[in-house]
Amino acid sequence: MAASEALVRVKAVLWLHSLRLWRYRYSFLNMILSEGAWIFMFVLGALLFVPSEKLGVAVKGAFWTIVAWSVVSNFSSLVGGWMDFFISIGMVEEHLVRGFSPFRTLLGRVVTGLSVIVVSLLFMAALVGGAFHVNLLHAESLLLLLLGMGLLAVQSLSYGFTVASVAVRTSVPNNLLEILNLVVVGLLMVPVQALPEGLRLAFLCIPYVAPAHLVKLATGAGEGLEYAALAVAGVEALAMAAVAVWATKWAIQWVRRNGVRAIGFW
Amino acid sequence: MGVKTLLKSGIVLDLYFFKNNRSAFVSMLIWPYLTLGLILGMGAFFGSAESFRQNVGLPVNPLTYFVASTLAMMVSMDVMWGVGGSVLHHRWIGTLPYVLLSPNRTSVTLVFTYVPRYLLTAAIQLAEFAPLVLAVEGLSNGALKLGVMALAATVGMLPLLGFAALFASFLLSIKEESNILSFLNPLILLFSGAFYPAYLLPRWAQLVSAVLPSTYTIELARVAALIGSPELRRVTLLIGALVAMTALYNSASGLVIQAGERRAMREGAI
Repeated sequence: MAASEALVRVKAVLWLHSLRLWRYRYSFLNMILSEGAWIFMFVLGALLFVPSEKLGVAVKGAFWTIVAWSVVSNFSSLVGGWMDFFISIGMVEEHLVRGFSPFRTLLGRVVTGLSVIVVSLLFMAALVGGAFHVNLLHAESLLLLLLGMGLLAVQSLSYGFTVASVAVRTSVPNNLLEILNLVVVGLLMVPVQALPEGLRLAFLCIPYVAPAHLVKLATGAGEGLEYAALAVAGVEALAMAAVAVWATKWAIQWVRRNGVRAIGFW
Repeated sequence: MGVKTLLKSGIVLDLYFFKNNRSAFVSMLIWPYLTLGLILGMGAFFGSAESFRQNVGLPVNPLTYFVASTLAMMVSMDVMWGVGGSVLHHRWIGTLPYVLLSPNRTSVTLVFTYVPRYLLTAAIQLAEFAPLVLAVEGLSNGALKLGVMALAATVGMLPLLGFAALFASFLLSIKEESNILSFLNPLILLFSGAFYPAYLLPRWAQLVSAVLPSTYTIELARVAALIGSPELRRVTLLIGALVAMTALYNSASGLVIQAGERRAMREGAI
């Protein structure tokens, strides 16, 4: 009985987000086009610095750095940012009254986030790869690539849920979060192997850096520290997920006692 | 309600906007440096200044080149959102019917309430980059280059206002305006050669670049990046192109926006 009820709820959450994705299909297309165009513009600018004989490797490195950033940025904003909308239409209280955590509804945003990331990735690969005649989707180790992307997704989703939990209590200025996202891309750009040996492990311990390094290793755009990056990324993903779970529980308890703050993330 | 009143209301609106949205103000100050840092950082990790000069085909300083590009890009984008996007903003807060019904033409209201913000934002961003340019280029040469960038931001505004007003008229007649503005903005910047010179783009893309006023604004700002004194002939040529585009786009917007207003009133697309 409990299992079938849970299944119905999962189906409802997935249906809700899939239906919204279809209804907002122009916004979806717009997001992909604008993200692709912005990224293409930055990549073109950066590649002006690259000597023509090294263009192939540099295009790949720049592309996968931006893809890693896109995962971080989309999951944190599409999950974290949606909480404000959910609060403003009064749905948090509705869900709590019916004994269903609003954060479980938020989990369905993974459908939206994944769709945006995958379609943007393919669009960008066609755009940048076509312009520079490089097969950007070729990976030296598909398993490592999937592992790196998966760990990056867990870390950024955890961050999104932590921000969503904070949003029910206080507002977080959107502009500053966008700036934080841009700082992240700066960190992801730094090749670990270019740092002094003593600093490499410490640098990998910064959130998102280790899984992004795994992605670069898998696509041939990075070298070394494979096992260290795997271990650090795994531990970090677990720790960030634990913090997110604790934060959502804390937020639910706080909302039950004090009510929802009407001004959220955006 | 004359133009003076519109300008005054624009100034007051901006001052209170900055006063009441401090995080937006701080973010406005940080963004240009972040954009510049991102592109130069990526460039430094993937290549060198020497390769940059070879690829661009001009004796330029990469830092001044991207300062000029970032400034021109930021102000061009600001015009598009400030004039075109204000239709969307007015629609959201429910003031679009009042703007449409006010004694002034909608294009006049949108443009003149926005001009003070543009000048203020451009001046702030130029002042932000000034210490960097002066440090890199030296006092007298740096001042000259900042002057060229200020000229590009000011003269470049004129055709962009008409271009953005044309856009605003189009936005008046459709419903999902944000979707169009969001993806067209980076595309316009891409074709204008925002970070990658327009003359290096494929031939078909160069044809699109030629009709965009932002291409000439960005080119004029980038004259400042050439090593040595800016070439007066090239500056004059680009100013000439911008003046011609001002006449073209502003007269076109004057005609088209009336049709857009009439359609919005007839169909209630507000």
